[in-house]
Amino acid sequence: MSTKEESERIELLQGTLDLLVLRTLAPGPAHGHAIAKTIERDSEDVLQVEQGSLYPALHRLIKRGWISANEGTSENNRRAKFYQLTAKGRRQLHIETTRWEKLSRAIANVLKLAGEGSV
Amino acid sequence: MTRRRRALADLDQDIREHLERETQENIERGMSPADARAAALRKFGNVGLIEEQTRAVWRRPWIDQFWQDLLFAFRILRRAPGFTAIAVLTLAVGIGLNTAVFSVVNSVLMRPLEYPHAERLVWLGEYDPAVGHDMVTLSDAAAWRTTARSFDQMASYSFQQSTVATSGTAFPVAAVLAGGDFWSLTGATPPLGRLFGPNERDGMVISWDVFQRQFGGDAHLVGSAVTVDGRAATIRAVLPRNFRFQFPRWWTALHPEPLEAYLTLPAETERRGGQVVASLKPGVSVSQAFVELQSLQRALHPPNPSNPASPGTLHVDRLHDQLTSGTRRALSILLAAGVLVLLMVSANTASLLLARAASRRRELAIRLAIGAGRFRALRQLLVESLALAFLGGAVGLLLARWMVLLVVRLGPASIPRLNEASIDLRVLAFTFSITLAAGILFGIAPGFQLWRTGLHEALKEGARGAGGRFGLRIRRVLVAGELALALMLLTGAGLLLASFLRMSAKPAAFTPEKVLVMKVRLPGPQYSRAMQQRYRDELMRRLGAIPGVEATGVISAPLMFCCTEAFPADTNPNQTHLLHLSRATPGYFRALGMELRKGRWLADSEKGDAILLNESMAREAFGSADPIGHTLKVPEPRVVAGVISDLRYTRLDAGVVPEIFLPVDERMTIGFSIAVRAASLAGIPAAVRREMAAIDPSVPPYDVKTLEEALAESISSQRFNLFLLGSFALAAFVLALVGIYGVVTYSVAARTREIGVRVALGAQRGNVIGMVVAEGMMLGLAGIVVGLAASYPLTRLMTSLLYGIKATDPRIFAAASAILVLTVLFASWWPARNAASIEPVIALRDE
Repeated sequence: MSTKEESERIELLQGTLDLLVLRTLAPGPAHGHAIAKTIERDSEDVLQVEQGSLYPALHRLIKRGWISANEGTSENNRRAKFYQLTAKGRRQLHIETTRWEKLSRAIANVLKLAGEGSV
Repeated sequence: MTRRRRALADLDQDIREHLERETQENIERGMSPADARAAALRKFGNVGLIEEQTRAVWRRPWIDQFWQDLLFAFRILRRAPGFTAIAVLTLAVGIGLNTAVFSVVNSVLMRPLEYPHAERLVWLGEYDPAVGHDMVTLSDAAAWRTTARSFDQMASYSFQQSTVATSGTAFPVAAVLAGGDFWSLTGATPPLGRLFGPNERDGMVISWDVFQRQFGGDAHLVGSAVTVDGRAATIRAVLPRNFRFQFPRWWTALHPEPLEAYLTLPAETERRGGQVVASLKPGVSVSQAFVELQSLQRALHPPNPSNPASPGTLHVDRLHDQLTSGTRRALSILLAAGVLVLLMVSANTASLLLARAASRRRELAIRLAIGAGRFRALRQLLVESLALAFLGGAVGLLLARWMVLLVVRLGPASIPRLNEASIDLRVLAFTFSITLAAGILFGIAPGFQLWRTGLHEALKEGARGAGGRFGLRIRRVLVAGELALALMLLTGAGLLLASFLRMSAKPAAFTPEKVLVMKVRLPGPQYSRAMQQRYRDELMRRLGAIPGVEATGVISAPLMFCCTEAFPADTNPNQTHLLHLSRATPGYFRALGMELRKGRWLADSEKGDAILLNESMAREAFGSADPIGHTLKVPEPRVVAGVISDLRYTRLDAGVVPEIFLPVDERMTIGFSIAVRAASLAGIPAAVRREMAAIDPSVPPYDVKTLEEALAESISSQRFNLFLLGSFALAAFVLALVGIYGVVTYSVAARTREIGVRVALGAQRGNVIGMVVAEGMMLGLAGIVVGLAASYPLTRLMTSLLYGIKATDPRIFAAASAILVLTVLFASWWPARNAASIEPVIALRDE
């Protein structure tokens, strides 16, 4: 259960979930539930992700060849599907991150200027 | 596909796993199992929707819907097995016939020769009107080969029937004298021995078949000495089993046997004629080669004003064109006929589909009503048509395999490379294309109908299915079109049939089945002129003594081909005639059953200067005047002693050739034909061989057959054309019958109520039958009129295939139309009778 109030949560921008998944997988392979948990935790529960919507995103990434899925066993010895970045996915992560940083910096600058002007 | 399947394989398990972990976490936080599960599900979202969205990531909508359509199409087809069977079978016949014809076209006209640099091979010909085909003097060919610079390699060859004698036995072989770069042009590599080069002498190369049959496959054979036509020769090599002689050969009609041996040119070939092939140097065009050859030939034979005798017409052609020129027209016509049959099949299938579409209107209307896009519904119909087409195509391919075997067996040897016909990749591609085209073609009509369907109207008309006035209208047009196509095919086949009958016609007194013909050559140095004379006398004596033999004689040239010569007629010195000149014994005329028209026969041992003419010759040289006692120069002056009846030895398209017969004297050719007449030919061939072996076992007879067989062989390619076009016409006929029956039956069913009303109001049986038949006849006449208009210009393309009949002969057109009128009557009679027996009470209740 989320610990924040519904009003404080932000809906994800189109396509950002893909970037988040890629980022989450950067340290190493993970299964679906773990990915969802990581995203929730790292965003401090601000980002509103229906856990299920992770799956279409995962498959989109598999189809593009950015991640791959393999059978594995989890920490408590249960069979699970592990998702893993491919080399191509790692490059993509770099591209997307750069783009995202540029974009957010640009937006932040615009907002800051606009804020100063209004004073 | 596999990536997709692998990725989606355990999606639901993956999701279940996820939910269980979440539930587990919730429980650990202190929730009750039920609450934990509910919370996990809430957080996850709609599982079904998520799964669907995930699958959607992988979806290729076009392919998925196509599979859906295809499965649905097969379900629909299975639900109407009768319809499916008829449609698939007619399509199979149409596609099968087309595939078979195309595989012949592919092999005969399209496939490149199996020789190296096939695209550079050319034919160097000099048309000789006297012999009726290209003939190059071998000395000219040798000069071209050394001088001409347009060519890499050049080879000459000519046919030679030979006798090969080994220490033990003698047997005839159909051989080729091969000179120049013959073997390097063919690119053959012999499994045994070495092929002979341009200037070698007294060598022989044998076919794999002869190697096995006559020499038992003995590998030590190479290098051993044999006697070929009385001359010593050495067997140099054995050809590979799959070696094929693919150069043009004019002699196939006379010697359909496969070639068995290849001989080096003898030293004394100066005057001999042959055929010449060459490979162009890279970059040299055919016309450049022609210009060079022409100037060479002019230098070799400077114009001689004192002898303006028709110089041959020099020409250079691509070898492949030369090889296929004789069959191109006939095969193109067959291919066109195939297209007509396929159009008919498509029209027929379209008509069947329309009939079904009418009863499926409600289904389609409902599908449209609940939101299927019009395009989606159209595509469904198209997929159904294509499924049907490809079922038909698959069965047609099986049929075609069988038909190709049949065609290869029945086909005449004179069509080059026909025996290589098979279903290869190109044929498969062709079959695929025509199947696709047919499927789209007959899928259009129901689609068009759907497009015009008003939803409201269709739902209202509903299950009665009788609706589709529009569909019926298209079907009428289709059937009329089918009849028009059928008429075209029937006239074509009719014209061929009439030609064929004319070619096979024979005078009542002529009994070729009682005549045995064969050939023999007295080769080599041991047969002096005197020895040859003695051989012939002995032969006549022995053959005449065989019990049952009524007459026997010899004629100088082979029966099927003769020395045509041009000479000035004595009545008009400027005129030359093409004629057959041969030496024959009186027994020969008796054996063939020729009759004396004027004058007298020649006596048995007559040697003087008397000659016989056939009627055509007499007419050509003397018109209506009496030729007896007049002189003709052939080229020495000869006196006409008698005129005998015309006889066609071959049934080729040419008419009767003018002929002059000289008595047999010491200038008789070393090769000649023998004719033996007997009341019954049973046992005669064996007896003849026995007697000939008794005179000289080293000169066996060859080409032994009855005159009837020989005549049949001479028109085998015409019979072949007739067989193929005839099968097309038959298929067309059946299709027309089925088509018109279907439409009339359907129309009667649609009009049941109306007919019921008519009967209730007092219409008589005859009226009803007349009304229905008249409806069929209207269609029939429309189709026939269109068909006649279309056939009239088209049959002219067949002119070169016809004999003794004009391409626009009105009798054939009338007969074909009559056949179709009868077909229409017959096909509409049954539905008409059914219509007439409609009970008004039942009909009026029909909803």
